[in-house]
Order: sequence, then C-alpha cells, then structure tokens
Amino acid sequence: MNQFGFYFNQTRCIGCHTCAVACKDWHDHHDPSINWMQIKTIEKGKFPHLFLTFLAVPCYQCEEPSCLAACPQNAISKRETDGIVVVDQDKCLGKEKCENTPCLKSCRSKSPQFGQKVNAKMQKCDFCKDRLSAGKQPICVEACPMFALDINTIPELQKKYGKQKEAQGFIYSPKIKQAVVFTPKPLVYS
Amino acid sequence: MKESEDQQNTGVTIVNTGCCHDCGGRCVLKAHVKDEKIIRVESDTGEEPQIRACMRGRAYRQRVYSPERLQYPLRRIGKKGEGKFERISWDEALDEVAAKLKHVKKTYGNSSILLVVGGGNQGMLHGFLPVGLMLQEFGGFTRTWGIASFEGALYASMATYGTIRTGNSREDLLNSKLIILWGWNPAVTIQDPGTSLMIAKAREKGIKIVVIDPRYSDSAATFAHQWIPIRPGTDSAMLIAMAYVIIKENIQNQSFIDNYCVGIEKYKKYLFGLEDGVHKSPQWAENITKVPAAVITALAREYAGSKPAALIAGWAPARASFGEQYSRAANVLTAITGNIGVNGGYASGFMRAYSSRETKYRRVVAGNEKKPESTGNPVEDGAMPRKYALHKLYGGTNPSSARIHNTKVFDAIIRGKAGGYPTDVKMAYVVGANCLNQHPNTNRGVQALKELEYMVIHEQFMTPTAKFADIVLPVNTFMERNDVAPPWLGSPYYIYLNKAIDSMYESKSDLDISRELSKKLGISPGMFALTEDQILQFIAAGQKDITDYAAMKRDGVVKIKLKEPIVSFKDQINDPDNSPFPTMSGKIEIFCEHLAEMNDSNVPPVPTYMSHDESHDSLKAQLFPLQLITSHDKKRAHSTWHNVPWCRDIEHHCVWINSVDAKSRGIENESLVDVFNDRGRVRIKARVTERIMPGVVEIKQGVWFNPDGEGVDHGGCANVLTMDEFSPGGAHHLNSALVQVELSPEAKGAEK
Repeated sequence: MNQFGFYFNQTRCIGCHTCAVACKDWHDHHDPSINWMQIKTIEKGKFPHLFLTFLAVPCYQCEEPSCLAACPQNAISKRETDGIVVVDQDKCLGKEKCENTPCLKSCRSKSPQFGQKVNAKMQKCDFCKDRLSAGKQPICVEACPMFALDINTIPELQKKYGKQKEAQGFIYSPKIKQAVVFTPKPLVYS
Repeated sequence: MKESEDQQNTGVTIVNTGCCHDCGGRCVLKAHVKDEKIIRVESDTGEEPQIRACMRGRAYRQRVYSPERLQYPLRRIGKKGEGKFERISWDEALDEVAAKLKHVKKTYGNSSILLVVGGGNQGMLHGFLPVGLMLQEFGGFTRTWGIASFEGALYASMATYGTIRTGNSREDLLNSKLIILWGWNPAVTIQDPGTSLMIAKAREKGIKIVVIDPRYSDSAATFAHQWIPIRPGTDSAMLIAMAYVIIKENIQNQSFIDNYCVGIEKYKKYLFGLEDGVHKSPQWAENITKVPAAVITALAREYAGSKPAALIAGWAPARASFGEQYSRAANVLTAITGNIGVNGGYASGFMRAYSSRETKYRRVVAGNEKKPESTGNPVEDGAMPRKYALHKLYGGTNPSSARIHNTKVFDAIIRGKAGGYPTDVKMAYVVGANCLNQHPNTNRGVQALKELEYMVIHEQFMTPTAKFADIVLPVNTFMERNDVAPPWLGSPYYIYLNKAIDSMYESKSDLDISRELSKKLGISPGMFALTEDQILQFIAAGQKDITDYAAMKRDGVVKIKLKEPIVSFKDQINDPDNSPFPTMSGKIEIFCEHLAEMNDSNVPPVPTYMSHDESHDSLKAQLFPLQLITSHDKKRAHSTWHNVPWCRDIEHHCVWINSVDAKSRGIENESLVDVFNDRGRVRIKARVTERIMPGVVEIKQGVWFNPDGEGVDHGGCANVLTMDEFSPGGAHHLNSALVQVELSPEAKGAEK
C-alpha cells in the first residue's frame, strides 16, 4: 500500500478557512454540522506575551484507524491502494440506530460526522478521492492561498517536507498512526 | 467565454469568471455549471502567480442561491425600516422612479438628487457607473466624497508625494531587510490576493517582521517576530518619536533628505519643541501610546539601520480623528530614512503600485490649478474647491465643494442648506451601498432616511438600508453578467468575469436598469446605445496592458508579466532633474506648502500628533473609558457575505474585550453585553481574550443592524457607536469612538 497522508505547514496558516469552505462547496455540504475540514485555533499566554496558531484538521487517514476498529458493522475500511479511510454508507446503521456513534467517539479529530438529519449515515473526509483519481489535487490543497497544504504518499511528503509528525495542538499516536507530516510552528511567545 | 467539458462530469461547463466585491482583491473563480446551475467553484489552477480566491469567493454559491435574494421589484407598504413590501412589475417600478426623478428635478432641482454609492456590487462597468452616467445625462446629481477605507491615507499621500501611486509590487518585499506592518492585517484584509503569501515567504527568507496593532491579529500571530500593541489613535505619536530618535542620533539618510525632500528644518522645530516646548521624545510618546520608550527607540534605530526597510502603513489607523497625521508621519519617516525609490524599501503612502491608467506622474502647472476638473456632472461643475482640499495637485480626490462627505450624508439630509451643506437633499438614489450600516452613526442614519422624500435602491438583498427605500430594484450578481475588474492596489492583472448563468428571478444588471430608466426619463441613450460587450471592449481598450480582449475573455484573466518588481519613484530618485515628484515643490514634502497656505491648525504642514474629542484622554473618556476599533472580518467584505452561512457560521459575532476589562465588569466569555455610548447601544456576546490590549474593545464592522423597539441593536453593527465626523483630509473616525461595556439586562438578570 502507498499510504497517502496530509501535510500541513503550520507556520504559514493564517486561519483564513478557505480550505474548509472550498471543501463544503466542492462536496456540497450545506449542513453546518458537517465539516470535513476543521480549523482549530490554539491560543496561549497572557497579554502581551501571546502565542497563536491554527491547525487544519481533515481526516488524517490513520494507519490503524480507531473509527474502523470501533464500527460494529464493519462499514469502515482502508482502501488497499492508498490507505484512505472510507465508509460504506449501506452498511452504516446511522446516527440514532447505532448507539453512541462509536466511530465518532473513538476519533480524536471528530472526523466521522453525521449531520443533523435523523439517522444520517456517517460521512467523512476522503482526501477528495474522486479528484485524486482524476489527477487533480484535493480541493483543500488546491484552494489554500498560502500553499500550506499537501496530500500525497507519505514517502513523497517526507521527501519534500521532512518527517515531523507533531505540531501545536496535535499529538501523534503510535497506536492509530495518523498519516501526517507537519512543519510545526515553534512555541515562541510575543 | 471559455467552456470546457469537465472530464469527470458529463454536462459540466466551466466558466471563467472572478470574485468581485469591495475587498480590494479580485480573484479567479471557475464556475462549474450544469443544467444552468452553478454546482461548485474552483479558483486559479493556472500559471503562477496564482490568484487564489479566499473563503468568500469559495462560498459564493450560497450568495447566488440564497433564499434571501431579492427576486422582483418591490414597493414599500410598511413604515420606513419596517421591512414590509409588495411585489410590483419592472414597468411599474421604473415608471414610478422616473416620475419621482422628474418631480424632484422640476420642484427642487437636480442637486436635490443624492447618489449614494458603495462597492457592494461593482466591476469596471456594473455598479454605480451606469447610474451615475444616467443621472448626469438627466441634468446632474449631488454626489459624495470621502472613502471610508482610505481617505486619510490618500490625503497624506497626496500632501507628501503628490500622488497615490506610491507602492511597490509585493514581490519586492523579498528585497527588504526589515518589514513593518503598521496597523495592517493582510491575513484578513485582502488588498492584493498574494500579499500574505509574499510576507510568509519574506519571513521564511529570514527577514524580520514587526507588527504594530492594538490586537494580536492573525497577521501578527502568523508573521511577526515582534508585536507592538499600541493605543488606538496614537500611532502618529510613535512615528513622530521614531523620527525624533533618528534625527537626534543623526542616523537619518541626510543625502536623501538633501536631494529629494523639502522642509526637514521645520519638522525638526516640531520634533524638538522649538515652538511648543515639548520634545517629541520616546518618553513623550510612551505616555500617549502605551508603547515603552525603549521599544520605540529600538525600533527607530533598527528601521534607520536596516537598509532597505519596508514600513507599510495600513489604512486602518488613518480611519481615525486626524487620521491623515498618522499617514503623514509614516510617509515622512520612510523619506528621512531614504527608503523611497529603492528595491526593498517602501514609500509608505496610498500603496497603489500598478496602474494601467496612469503611465506617468503628472504635475500641475502653476497658475492652472484652482478650478476642479470638470466631471461632466452639471451640478458640481464650476463649484469652488472645498476647504482643506489639495486642489492644486493633480489626481487624488475631486475637490468640488458641491459634494457631501460620506460621514455627513445623514446630517446633510436632516439639515440641508441651513446646516451649511450645498443642497437640500430630497431623494436618495442608492446603488450597491448598505449606507445605514456602513456609514457612521447608524441611529442618526435611521432618522435621516426617514426624512427623505423618496429613496430608491439597487440591491441583491433586503439590507438594513433597503428596508427604508420606497422602491427596491433587484440586481443580479457577477455570476449573472459580464464585467472586467482589476484589483485595487499593487497586482498587475485583470479579471474578466464571464457570465456563468442567466439572471436569477427577475433581477437585472445595473446597466440594464439604467438603460431602461433612461428611456423612461426621455434622455439621450449615450453609452446605453451600446451592448454590454461593446462597452466592456471600450473600457478594456482604455487600459494599456489589455492587448487581446478576446484572450482575456477566453481565459478569464490577464496576468501582466513584469520584468522586475514595481518600485514607485525609482525615476524620481535615479533621475531627479527630469523626474520631479508630482508635488508643488517637485520634492517629497516633509513640510507641505499647500497645507501651510491654508494656515489652519487643523492641517499642520508637518506631521503632528493631535488629540481630539474622543481621545483616550478626553473628558468624554471619563464616561466612556474604552476605545472601540471597528476592524475588518475575514468572513465578509464590509457588509457583504453577512448572510452567507458558510462564512457566517465560522465564528459568531462578538465584541473582543481584554480579560482585565472583562473581570472588572463581571463579564465572562460568551456573556451577553451592552456596548454603548451617547450614540447608541449594541447588545452582543463578549469574547474575553488576551488578543486585544486592555482599554480597547473591538467590534468587527459589517454585521447588519437589527434594532429592537427601544433602539438597541441586537445585530452588532459597529457603526451604531461610531461618530459621523471627518477630519480635514477626509478621514472617517471609525476607530475613534469611546464606549462603555456592561453586562446586558438579560445577563444581569441571570446573575441574580
């Protein structure tokens, strides 16, 4: 398998939310509780000595996904070719029928999402697999005005950007093995 | 129009267009159209530099297809401001507007027709241009002056350099050794789409970046090595103190001053207190600005010692009482350090770098300078220059005294000639402007709009302003028509906006409305005899770099290749004998003779720190001890996008307040609070944050006014609190309001 991963240059991100809105537009998500791409703000310190940064949170397509393990229906799988974590909505029981939505509960990024409709099926970021197969970049990558995002195979990302797996607001877990490469923002206060 | 079949989606046509509202940027959008509906958008995927749209452009579908879009012409049937309207036909609507225009013209004269315009819906063709041409042909109209965004910065730029074309193209930042972003937050305010990326690259290159802002802004957080919080309204004091340090320590660029500037000796008199006995030292400035003297001294030395250095003075601190003094002080500082006309420097000024319209700097020939240039508008032709106008210089703001300053539109409606205004306004023709929301002192605006005899508005949505109109005419969006649009300032490109879909519902373009109304007014068709495409070709032909109209239309964008970065005033520096500065003296005016001739303490000829009625140390501050700033929001361009869920839902609207100020008022994060002063009261949630300095609160401008029966605004419109005054140079006082904050009655009740 050529595991695909997510690269985020935290030193570049201005928190503009362009990636998140581009994602909603491309995938036609009008339900406000559906956010395949989430932007986390990390704020520390006391005036005037502050630290602030952002973290882009798509699905990190873990190598050992907790959502996959948690699903009672085996509705979640990893694609053999690229390791992208996908859900089979026909197998998914839906929000109310599947008590406690264990996939969502198990995920520290809150990537498995259900939306507001009654018994909605789980949906999640799939790295725009349709765009990838058409030879295009995922919409978030293509949208970022700061060129701070990339999605590619882990070896490719590591070759380009190094092997850093941690960033402000993000903890790498050897248990689930998020497929990530970061350029983290150093914790320096103003 | 470029139409290409998308490989993956049968039946999808990609239309090359662009995002075009009032942010300053103009960005590439590719509309994916299927069955005559836009199903999604992409942005620039072409050659570098890419012009990538921000969140706003990406969210545009929710604006086009909003259930709140105005669908057909409306006639007001409720009270003004109440929002009750009935549907009427276009014929009925335009008959009525034409009859009213004729009535007002006949009864009161053309000057009683006030055209209020905004950038809410504007390309080079669509927007207020056709309406202005129509009213001009109808015998004229009264227009306004003073742009909220930048008028103070513009005035200072004219006074110092004689031009607004002072900027460098953004890639030149990579040649700097130090970059100072003063009151400038390009991470949020998109003036040129590539700006933030270039600043990030400069930082990655190891160039030191300093941000000066009362808030730890997104730009400060992302780019700054050093953040200097400063008390709003006092930026000029810090800049003046930096000049003091530089001159006192003799680290100025003396040969630059000798060769290219006039008036340094007079500035020294001010700096060293030869007339007022006050040394404008860092210690003096510390007391005013809250910036430690040592920080001011160190930055002055660093700026003078880093050759070259780019001090980019944003427009926001100039949106204040005597805001032009801040800009003047910044401009002069860039001059005395010799950072003008050199790569990596920056002539702090208006910031425009690229201009296809002006190819040369023009100087006014002595003796031919008194009369404002004819605008073709009969109402203002022949009017004398207004007080404080820099009427002897070419370019800048039209100095006609027949115009009404934008901050005074409401007062002028209420008081008219008796209040000293050039006319009695009877009818307002409003185009793409949410003036009730975006002009200062909203409650005064409510009173004024109620007093109008008649009001017609071109709008896409039922804005707080539109609710006061007698007739509301639904206008299409840029997705529904063709246009051309350049960005405001520095980037050398044009967007061609191809029409992606037909006009929604019964909406029409401003051009078509004006065309049809012209017929009903019985005036000569002029431009309206031409088709949209013919007019656009005519406009394009007037731009020097659009050489292939068909290619621009096909590609949706023309990116002009520059051999080297634009650096303003290179000719003036390299060849001063043949290229004087376009000022009266031909040099950079540290001491401005034009201002000196006015002999008025409100327009001192050298940069001067001045206190005012709502300064931090004014009497009023005892009642209203917090300073309000009204910044831009990344979610909107002014009041546009307010009602677009993809943007609006990112974070709720709130007032930023420092934890120190919150604690002393019993306010917690998310508490519902009242922000108020003698002009109005806004009730919104508090965001208790360390990101704003104590003593300062922020409400981001642009959220729609939503008053209850008692006049309390639950929307959170910042201009409920701002003052309807302007400085001599035309600066709006949008960052000069004093307020108090307290728990709302609801929150107080909950506490008990």
